[in-house]
Amino acid sequence: MRYAISDVPIIKRMLRSRWLQWSLTALTLLFFVLAIIAGLVGTPAGNRNFGIVFVWIVWWALLILLLLPFAGRLWCGVCPIPAPGEWLQRRALVQPRPGGKLYTLGKQWPRALRNIWLQNVGFLGVALFSTVILTTPLATALVLLGFMIVAIGTSLVFERRTFCRYLCPVGGFIGLYSQIAPIELRVKDTAICAGHTEKTCYTGSDEGYGCPWLVFPGGLTNNMSCGLCTECLKTCTRDNIALFVRQPGADLLKTTGHKLDEAYKGLIMLACAFIYSTVLIGPWGVLKETARAVGTPGWFAYAGIFLALNLAILPGLFWLAVRGGQWISQPAQTTMRKLFSDYAATLVPLGLTAWIAFSLSFVLVNFSYAWSVLSDPLGWGWNLLGTVGLKWTPYIPGLIPYLQVPVLLIGLTAAIALALRTARQHGQTPWAAAPVTVFCTAATLGLLGLYLA
Amino acid sequence: MKHVRSRIKEELFALGVVLVVLVAFPAGIFGYQAWRTASAGVKIVEIVARAPEQGGFSPDRLSLRVGETVRLRISSPDVVHGLTIPGLGVNVNDIYPGKVVEVDVTPDKPGRYAFACTRWCSVDHWRMRGVIEVTGGSPPVIATTEPPLFQQLGIDLDAMPHEAHATPNATPSISVGAALNVALPQDLTDPATRRTLAPAGAFDNLRADPANAALSDADVWNLVAWAWMKDVSPTALARAATLYARDCAACHGPDGKGKGPAGLNLPGMQKMDPAMPSGPADFTDPAHMLAASDVLLQGKLLRGGMGTGMPEFGSLYTDEEQWAMIAYLRTFLFAK
Repeated sequence: MRYAISDVPIIKRMLRSRWLQWSLTALTLLFFVLAIIAGLVGTPAGNRNFGIVFVWIVWWALLILLLLPFAGRLWCGVCPIPAPGEWLQRRALVQPRPGGKLYTLGKQWPRALRNIWLQNVGFLGVALFSTVILTTPLATALVLLGFMIVAIGTSLVFERRTFCRYLCPVGGFIGLYSQIAPIELRVKDTAICAGHTEKTCYTGSDEGYGCPWLVFPGGLTNNMSCGLCTECLKTCTRDNIALFVRQPGADLLKTTGHKLDEAYKGLIMLACAFIYSTVLIGPWGVLKETARAVGTPGWFAYAGIFLALNLAILPGLFWLAVRGGQWISQPAQTTMRKLFSDYAATLVPLGLTAWIAFSLSFVLVNFSYAWSVLSDPLGWGWNLLGTVGLKWTPYIPGLIPYLQVPVLLIGLTAAIALALRTARQHGQTPWAAAPVTVFCTAATLGLLGLYLA
Repeated sequence: MKHVRSRIKEELFALGVVLVVLVAFPAGIFGYQAWRTASAGVKIVEIVARAPEQGGFSPDRLSLRVGETVRLRISSPDVVHGLTIPGLGVNVNDIYPGKVVEVDVTPDKPGRYAFACTRWCSVDHWRMRGVIEVTGGSPPVIATTEPPLFQQLGIDLDAMPHEAHATPNATPSISVGAALNVALPQDLTDPATRRTLAPAGAFDNLRADPANAALSDADVWNLVAWAWMKDVSPTALARAATLYARDCAACHGPDGKGKGPAGLNLPGMQKMDPAMPSGPADFTDPAHMLAASDVLLQGKLLRGGMGTGMPEFGSLYTDEEQWAMIAYLRTFLFAK
């Protein structure tokens, strides 16, 4: 049940234009440059600095509350971080070189790293220092600059958007949660693809470049690795690729064939949502202080607990839950590793809704800083739009729990449904899903306890 | 060929946009700021106010010239600070993190002007000071002021403890003391002399005077209260109350009992002698306060308590403010 919205003539024309994505990327690059400048030379007060307010409140709200649930990887399509590297790699800004030729050493990413483990590590690295990065404009600027420098270097050495596909710490979880989005870029008819020997969607043509994300669109079955750059829409000579509106979460309905790195990504995201909810918005100020005091004995203890929760404790509990289900209903020929990875699909809706609930609590409370920052982005005493005097005003703070509860319950419901579906697809009895259901319910209750306490 | 030309035109346009984003836009940001500064019409001095542990005022030394208008552009990256430059009439109470406060000053006399933070921004708030050196104009007036009274009188500020042997059983009342219509001796009517006396000593003198034999001890204490407060104007007391709330209450407490939140972990006088009381002075302790003359209290106010955490206010208060503050401290023991 899906509809090809790119077949609507005006939408098709927009998506096939090389200017649409480029213009949006140039716009996001402008904001990116401002965030970097604000971080480097603007006020160190985070709530008055464009880099903090627009990256960690406005952009984050846009990403978590709107783009991820409704548009998947749309952000990746207009992200400014890989843009300069990609322009250098193409030696062109908008129009493609003949045949979609790229100027790079063209090295292939090592086979052993063609997964999202490095993205998991990168995300954990950023998350571990997030209490500093999220509040210190200079740290934010350096992290963003670091991302861009790595992206440029990767573009010059490796083929296509290797950075986005295998390295970007943000891209990892965007890909994971994009499976929920009600849109997908897919081929219309795989038979046409099979008969199309040139495969211009992957190799490129005069109309555009081969898939920058190193994906053969004809083989796409989920949104994880599709960056929605729409390059394949331009290069497909058979008009066989379209942007579809679909049932939300369609990628997750096939609950087999998932990978361990994706499972860990789901667990890391859930653990981080829990840790952030406890440390950043919980009532224990000492935790926040400890998490900020990088290098102190207390911080090392925090880091140890943080990493243990992410890499051992939560995965261990989830493993026990899956093992329990296996014990209840032993499937014929399914390994624990496979069961673990497949049941981890439940963590996608659970994790996304946890992040939405967490984000609601600080985005609505802090969003009003954006108005004064728009007028004085660097905290230099400007008043460009006359809004610098607008005071901090939390938006609907009393209603936030009433939004968080249904969001978390929707995630839990979807997770339980996926657990039952996974059990069925593995030939287990429905009772095999019970331990994972208990795990998901406990996680939801834990978050509800934090938000409602 | 036409296609190639079109492609080149589009690429050049896109390159122009990228150059605007990466070069012209940043240049515009810095250019706008430079234009703002240049078009202000006055010299602009940026002052960043950080908690003392992070460096305090930066810069904390300024050089200005007489008659030159300077716009101080003050910002804080951490917590709320304030700024007072008593000698130049500058008082800014709220410098919120990330907000910029501008204030113009035009010194009309050469000299050294102390400035300080007025918000309890950290436990070391009192260290947050700076100096403005104003030069030019008329030749600087060489300071000919005499040393403070406590030095002239050879009072050892650290000779502690000073404890009154007699204290009132009830709070002495200024109005009751006035209503007694008793003629005060000259050493209590002359402010200069009275300041050198401790109230407890004044009590002893009055008690020993046969003319006051009919008075109860409580009435003699009422007379003492009257003698100390009769010349203090309500305006001076109100000013002192404001300064007390700003500068003293955090350690000594709004009620003067020495239990303010910022004073809880201060060493007090134990720094000098382990036998001394810890923490800030309790202004409601009659034994301690009634044994202290105004000159002694002024000395402590001027100098501060070395090592106790007590700041010096000699560079921030005028003479009138100092005496008003001492009178205000007496109100913790003397009722209206």
